[in-house]
Amino acid sequence: MLMFTLRRILVSIPVLIGITIILFLMMNVVPGDPIELMMREHASPDVIARVRAQMHLDDPMVVRYFRFLWNALQGDLGVSIKLNRPVTDLILKAFPNTLSLAVCAALVSWIIGIPAGILSAVRRDSLLDRFFMGFSLLGVSMPIFWSALLFQYIFAMKLKLLPVSGFYGWKYMILPAIVLGWSSAGVIARLTRSSLLEVMRLDFIRTARAKGLRETGVITRHALKNALIPVVTIMAIQVASLLSGAVITEAIFSIPGVGRITVSAISSRDMPLLQGAVLFATALVILGNLVADILYSILDPRIRAQMRKEA
Amino acid sequence: MTRKLNLLLATGLTSLMLLSPAFAENMLRVSYPEDPKSADAQMTTDFYTLPLNIFDRLVESETTGPGQSALVPGLAERWDVSDDGLTYTFHLRKDVKFHNGAVLTADDVVYTFDRMLNPATKALNTDILTFIAGAEERLDGKADSVSGLKALDDQTVQITLTKPYAAFLALLAAPGASIYNRAFTEAAGDQFGLTPETTNGTGPFILRDYTLNDSEMLEANDDYWRGRPKLDRLLIRVVSDPDTLRMLFESDEIDVFDMDFAPTQTPYFYGADQWKDHIVSGPRVGIYYYNINQLKKPFDDPRVRKAFQMSIDRQTILDKNFYGKGKLEDGVMPRGLRCYAPAEPIAYDPVKAKELLTEAGYPDGVEINLQQVSSWSSRWSDMNQIIQAQVAEAGFKAKIITTDEAAYLAARKAGDSDAYTQVWSADFNDPDNFFYTFFSETGSKTRGYNNNDPEVFAAIEKARGMTDPAERCKLYQDLTARIVDTDAAWVPLFSLDHSFVVQPRVKHFIVPWNGWSDMSYYNVEVE
Repeated sequence: MLMFTLRRILVSIPVLIGITIILFLMMNVVPGDPIELMMREHASPDVIARVRAQMHLDDPMVVRYFRFLWNALQGDLGVSIKLNRPVTDLILKAFPNTLSLAVCAALVSWIIGIPAGILSAVRRDSLLDRFFMGFSLLGVSMPIFWSALLFQYIFAMKLKLLPVSGFYGWKYMILPAIVLGWSSAGVIARLTRSSLLEVMRLDFIRTARAKGLRETGVITRHALKNALIPVVTIMAIQVASLLSGAVITEAIFSIPGVGRITVSAISSRDMPLLQGAVLFATALVILGNLVADILYSILDPRIRAQMRKEA
Repeated sequence: MTRKLNLLLATGLTSLMLLSPAFAENMLRVSYPEDPKSADAQMTTDFYTLPLNIFDRLVESETTGPGQSALVPGLAERWDVSDDGLTYTFHLRKDVKFHNGAVLTADDVVYTFDRMLNPATKALNTDILTFIAGAEERLDGKADSVSGLKALDDQTVQITLTKPYAAFLALLAAPGASIYNRAFTEAAGDQFGLTPETTNGTGPFILRDYTLNDSEMLEANDDYWRGRPKLDRLLIRVVSDPDTLRMLFESDEIDVFDMDFAPTQTPYFYGADQWKDHIVSGPRVGIYYYNINQLKKPFDDPRVRKAFQMSIDRQTILDKNFYGKGKLEDGVMPRGLRCYAPAEPIAYDPVKAKELLTEAGYPDGVEINLQQVSSWSSRWSDMNQIIQAQVAEAGFKAKIITTDEAAYLAARKAGDSDAYTQVWSADFNDPDNFFYTFFSETGSKTRGYNNNDPEVFAAIEKARGMTDPAERCKLYQDLTARIVDTDAAWVPLFSLDHSFVVQPRVKHFIVPWNGWSDMSYYNVEVE
């Protein structure tokens, strides 16, 4: 298991480097100069040239890339051009906000998704099933910016139950977590339902029933344990979708998280900040996948055996 | 540990204030579409709310009426200008204190301006000070100090210019010329202006909390030399989504709704019974214009340029694209700018325009290119589409060309861009900011006009050094007629109003003379 984890971590290093190269190339192809964008229409050519030189933005691309890589290896992701603060600081300060948003959203998606999936599977083709599946389809299909607006309008503007936006306590977290969580809840509900239905058809369930176990016992003790394996892995891989969803959610609800930083880095061509933010997000996604694999092996003995063979 | 505790306390305090309406009583809550990134005015060219409230300048531009301003003494209680217009002597106020208790001295002023010109600062606002003797040498790293900056004694600063520049005082009133404290700022280094602990000014408000991408909390400076501000606190929240902003405003979580941050909400607020009486509006000292590049045929012919001017129905664009909130402009100077006088109106006359084109040898019409940049807002492409249709009536077959910003800037710098539309807002209240930018020898080329009129070039240079204000204004008004009427060098379009909706409890809220979103909240009160 340890060998497996170590190997997975080593394999992810080229992935990280590859991502930085692609990003670096892309940002150099896209037009727009960070200093010019910072100064907008009032840019004076002399000042731009001078500040560019001071910030070493005139150096060849290769030189800049290796300088970045060398510093990054030493834990220094550079200083944001626009915000004039160390990139590592910016990300570490913003990350707890994104993390709490993501964790709350994930909780929402599990609390809604798993029971909805189970009930739908158990009462297959009933009105309840249709309702839950319709509800989850709505969650998956509604763009976040739209559901966010709708929720803000109903719960904050009209009913005045919750604050519109901001980030000053648990009350402020409810709407963004529901908006972001709802979209993943749909995926989880559908997966739980189909996985449970599949398991219910297997022989060991028939055996359990034949033993005379009650239906609730069959479902909770036997079926669910097996049906939730793919769901658990999806939950770990959710990191990627939660991160991308957080970009929009953070903008609409004014949450000072990593998503906001990334968007501002893109629009201002702030290379050091963007590199840092993307590197960080990549690392998180890799970590999510690793956790998914490990969970999978814990839950499924077949995988564990396979891993032992590989190691 | 203490710092961490302070931070915790400050954050907790902010949260508490936001949550509890009782605490919100004497606090003004405004918004900003993105993080202002720093309070240091030398490091920004467009986010000035923090500097305008935390610092003071030697001279201040005071709003005296809608779109009107006067230069009034700031940290300098008076100043003398030598007869040759080269030497400015500023006499500082006594007993002005920084937020940390330090007393303002002439050395602080010398330090502040030297810091801006010091290449190590990487300042963005250096244009303000390049007229000072020795500034260029300092910027280029050839000198360790600026020869034109001297502290004669604790209370007196002398600034020498390389050549007379009539707009120099107006420049010193720009937010970029905010004054810092030497000892504190040197100690803060490149962290200056980034956190409450590393920010220190003489201004009406003190920075108390700065949460990046979230909010800034400012508190009244009890020892402010002009008297304590009426507000206890000023909260600036970063809200990037226009719909969220409107909901925050309508749920009474924000006191001022800036329509610039959400222009699509304009018709709603002007139409809402609840809000239409709470709209505060003022002119913006900025001009929308259409560039004409005389190096590009057929615009080498003044008759064609004149025809282009007359074939654009500016009022329709103003009405359709900007909800009619503005005024047509016919000159180079927009209303509100020093020396402004109404210019000869440009009539919308497609028939006359067609005649002019025929006269110029294009009886069957002529092809022209209109340039726009892909990353600009849709406002510009919308305008171009309307203009394309309008000028067709006179016989201009306009093709819209979209490029990226780098290509546009490169072409413009080389004097090779196609005609484009843009807006210019006053950095400081002086006509030089408009005439020099567009129609001086360097400006005319680098902004893609190529209006190579030697008399205009000479007059603009001359106006820079003139000391008689009345005579100088007269010259700018004459130049307007020459540039817009005779040379037909550009198409002035219109200037817009800047509207804000304010909660009924907000009093004395006025639009600053320049029509900016950034302003000092010193005089504002809440009930």
